[in-house]
Amino acid sequence: MTAKSMTRAAFFVLTALADQPRHGYGILRETEELSGGEVHLRVGTLYGVLDRLTADGLIVLDREEVQQGRLRRYYRLTDDGVAALDAEAERMAAGAGAARRRIAEGRRAAARPAAQDPAGLEPPTAPGLAGGFA
Amino acid sequence: MTTLLETRYRTVLRLLPAYYRREREEEMVETYLEDLDRDTQDQSRPTLGEVVSIAALAVRSRLGAAGAPRPYVVLGSVTRLFALAAVLLLAASAVVAPVLRLTWSFTRGGAQRRLFLSEFTDHGVLAGTVAVAQWVLPLGWAVAYFALLRDRPRLARLGVLAAALPSLWPLLRSVTDATPLPEPAFVTMLALLAWLPALALCTAHHRDAPPARLPAGTPGLVFMATCVVTGASLVLLPAVSDLVWGPVNCFVVGALGLLLWSVRRTDRGVPGGALALAVLGLLLLAVRVAALYPWLRVPGAAAYIAGGLAQAGALALLTAVLAVAGRRELAAR
Repeated sequence: MTAKSMTRAAFFVLTALADQPRHGYGILRETEELSGGEVHLRVGTLYGVLDRLTADGLIVLDREEVQQGRLRRYYRLTDDGVAALDAEAERMAAGAGAARRRIAEGRRAAARPAAQDPAGLEPPTAPGLAGGFA
Repeated sequence: MTTLLETRYRTVLRLLPAYYRREREEEMVETYLEDLDRDTQDQSRPTLGEVVSIAALAVRSRLGAAGAPRPYVVLGSVTRLFALAAVLLLAASAVVAPVLRLTWSFTRGGAQRRLFLSEFTDHGVLAGTVAVAQWVLPLGWAVAYFALLRDRPRLARLGVLAAALPSLWPLLRSVTDATPLPEPAFVTMLALLAWLPALALCTAHHRDAPPARLPAGTPGLVFMATCVVTGASLVLLPAVSDLVWGPVNCFVVGALGLLLWSVRRTDRGVPGGALALAVLGLLLLAVRVAALYPWLRVPGAAAYIAGGLAQAGALALLTAVLAVAGRRELAAR
């Protein structure tokens, strides 16, 4: 997980486990809620993600329960899982911050008057090595 | 009491390998059924999306996914090495053959040049488009080879799927035009030679798979060496060459090199190299035989038949040796 970028599904599964251990169905429901309905994991996809996160040491089995004759396994984040989720959240926040700054700069530039006295007649770029503007 | 939906879902889960079902089946059934109304479970079935997700998990768990037992790890490794070796041979062929053809057509005067260009211009828009696609799309093998070795499996998958498409054209035309397929065995084997590596690459290079690596050399150097062997075998013996002549010669050189290298080396590399080449050798042998068979009773094709038979013999021998070496390699681990 550290060598490869984290998938959206893995990110939401880790996020779903960030506050408490959850079982398979609990993770499915939580990922859907956290993503505002955008991430709807199938059971096959969920267990592929859980296998990978377990192999990477980001989650572990917390406990097993039998409910109405059926097996429930609860998973929780490891310290590495918390660190990986934290790093991914930081990376996403940095990306979102950069996007917001660029949007704000773009809006400010658009709000400026297009031509202001003599400056409006100036060439758009500095002269090149040969003194031209091509 | 077990509902009909649970029975149906358990049937779908049978796609998964036994080791995975032992570990996960009860848990997956619980996860799947928890939110569903028990009273309506006898009227519903697992959705197509659910079945597809289980099928994808089944393929991945058989091809060396995280936590898979050793036989599946080896199967995944063999499949990935088979895909890499086949893509390398097909990539070299896809680059060398057009270069030689262009060189020939544009250095032999105006008549040859016009003959070459007429393939694209004289048979209508559809035939011209298909001719261009058949020249351009196979370059996807080269794209896939380099993408795979640069850890870009998605681009590699796109490359092989695009490159394998032209092999379907003769089969498609025989269906749409209702014309009998000339040499159906050869056309089918050629399609298999394209699609088996393509599918192997797409399935075995999943997200959990280790990155593709060559046993020796850099990607560019190995590709160039393969191109040289392919080109030399086409130029030196043009009378006996056909679509598989160059790739088979490269395979023979590569397989001999691997056998010699594995005898001398002391370390244990990626498991399954010899077995992967044995599978590729078997596939090439089938294509070689399918290409050769229609010519066996044609008078005047003695040189072609002799060259083909020599290749078939070398392929059969090397495939057998590689299979034995592969089995010993696995037993020694």
